[in-house]
Amino acid sequence: MDLECCWNREVIEQADCPNISEGEEELLVSRLQRVTEKCCECPVFLTAIDQHRESSNPLAPILAGVLDENSRQKNQIQSLVSFLDNKTLEMRFMHELGSVLQSSVDLDEVLSVALTAITAGKGFGMNRAFLLLSDREAGVLRGYLGIGPRNLEEASQLWNEITQNDMDLQTLAQNFRHNKLSSERAKFHDVLEQLTVQLSNKEHIIIKALDGKTPVMVENAFHHPDVPRELANLLGVDTFLLMPLVSRNRRIGMIIADNFITHRAITSEDMHSLETFGFPVAFAIERASLYDKLQVELNRVTEAGNKLKEQQELIVKMEKMALVGRITSSIAHSIRNPLMIIGGFARSMIKSTAVSDPKRNFIESIVSETRQLEGVLDEILNYSDSLYPTRDFWDVNQVVETSIRDLQEMLMQRGCECHFSPNATLPLAYIDIKQVSYCIRTLIISDIDGRSGEVIIVHAYLHEGNIHITIEDKERTVSQDELDALLTPFSITHDMGSGLGLALCRTMLEKQNIPLLVVAPPEGGITYTLTLPISKEEQA
Amino acid sequence: MSKLLVVDDEANIRILYSEELKDEGYEVVTAANIAEATEKLQESVFDLAVLDIKLKNESGIELLQKLVKERHEMPVILCSAFSCYKDDFSAWLADGYVVKSGDLTELKHEIARVLAKKAQKLKAGL
Repeated sequence: MDLECCWNREVIEQADCPNISEGEEELLVSRLQRVTEKCCECPVFLTAIDQHRESSNPLAPILAGVLDENSRQKNQIQSLVSFLDNKTLEMRFMHELGSVLQSSVDLDEVLSVALTAITAGKGFGMNRAFLLLSDREAGVLRGYLGIGPRNLEEASQLWNEITQNDMDLQTLAQNFRHNKLSSERAKFHDVLEQLTVQLSNKEHIIIKALDGKTPVMVENAFHHPDVPRELANLLGVDTFLLMPLVSRNRRIGMIIADNFITHRAITSEDMHSLETFGFPVAFAIERASLYDKLQVELNRVTEAGNKLKEQQELIVKMEKMALVGRITSSIAHSIRNPLMIIGGFARSMIKSTAVSDPKRNFIESIVSETRQLEGVLDEILNYSDSLYPTRDFWDVNQVVETSIRDLQEMLMQRGCECHFSPNATLPLAYIDIKQVSYCIRTLIISDIDGRSGEVIIVHAYLHEGNIHITIEDKERTVSQDELDALLTPFSITHDMGSGLGLALCRTMLEKQNIPLLVVAPPEGGITYTLTLPISKEEQA
Repeated sequence: MSKLLVVDDEANIRILYSEELKDEGYEVVTAANIAEATEKLQESVFDLAVLDIKLKNESGIELLQKLVKERHEMPVILCSAFSCYKDDFSAWLADGYVVKSGDLTELKHEIARVLAKKAQKLKAGL
């Protein structure tokens, strides 16, 4: 064989072969390796072989055949390597996707990962995807989330961003969830709203795909007999992919993916990859949904537990109340009856005792002392009642008006006036009506006690989230010592009553976390202020 | 003259009520417990009953329920040593409620009010 080539030389120079590049210098000194890797594909060598085939050498056609087979096998290996590389990438991606999906029980996170995976270049590289979730109670498949650009301009911006920030799938998904989830939902709101299909509509292509549990590639959508025209118009693409999400035979939802911007053809390879991806996504969505439901149930159970605890505490409290009630009832019965008999008979005796009779003074003293003792007894019983307030929402205007009405007769007898203008804008107050009414009455009584012609002004208004009731007497002057004494149990003031009165009011109100503020400036006037809560939260 | 039935387990209270209410112009019959009250109710017709709630081991509320059922035309005033019964739903069946006091003015007012109301009802044919 007379060839103008280098194959028959053991060692060659770099300039002898145009097929040997930099970095392949070892081929210059190894003929066998050079022939296998380079000469078999060298046109000079192959032409020479063809020419030689016509010669009489019987090895020539065999050599040509061996070279052809070698070339075919090399191409096949190359194709397999390429296939394996793709599969390796796909497996890596699926592994990453699986890890992310398995580690999350948050529905929004799972959905973000799923849709990011479909649209990310590193994933399946589709332009746009819509997720529909099945609502079994309503019997519909409903559009839940969309992802992707709406136009070319947005697409360029979005893909530039992704290219500039080289992120892995998890980071991309997290980024989407934190920064774009709500905006994407709003962006595709119009589309998602119309992507609702009855699960019972077995003729609808989406439901058919869901029931069939395998991906469906829809081509020529605008003229496809099974595709409703409105669906094709809504998506605005001729080709799209329907990927059912099915977990343990449960129909979880559907992903509709398309290449709305690039119009790249969706290959059977894409479909196959997405099919592999569908199951873990469906499973993760179902698990996250179940976790959500579990969380709701857990909250409900926790709430029920708390309520039960409250009820138990209430029962214990009520048992204590019952005990207090029994004790006070016993005291009331044992003391009030003898007091009543003493006072009653003394009063009867007065009626038949002459005014000039020196014993009349003694009898009057008995009447007066028993009246005072009855008053003290009332206050003690009220005090025991005050230990356990029963709160509810009440109209403050009504509470104040009723309290003043109860005192009307007493006010008239003493020539006093009490004015109150209801405030219609007030919300309801969360109070023990009995106790607050008692306090309003007691505050007014203590103010007019032993005096006449007093004018009391009552106001009720909303201030900083509380209702304030002020009871004001501008004519009254009270010293600081008298004020302190007023609020001390069983202390006596000269002209403002005695016993528990205001101290009891303060205790009652404190039990309801209602502050009682008494202001009596030296220049005159006295103002009592009650600050009532308007919600349960303000109670400690 | 209106005829009143006073039911109280304390003998001195019965005497006091009896004397004071007679002075007001009422005819007063007293009873110390439910059995005695039932007996008196069978013997004659009363215009009004004044009941104590605590009757030793018995309850005036029980008697009240019985009277509302069997003698609904006869008004009842509950008279008790404690004010908490005002909040007892059963006590709401009574026509009046008075807390016991040596000063019988409130009781007398209440009796007069309830009897006047009854008379008005009768007049209206209700």
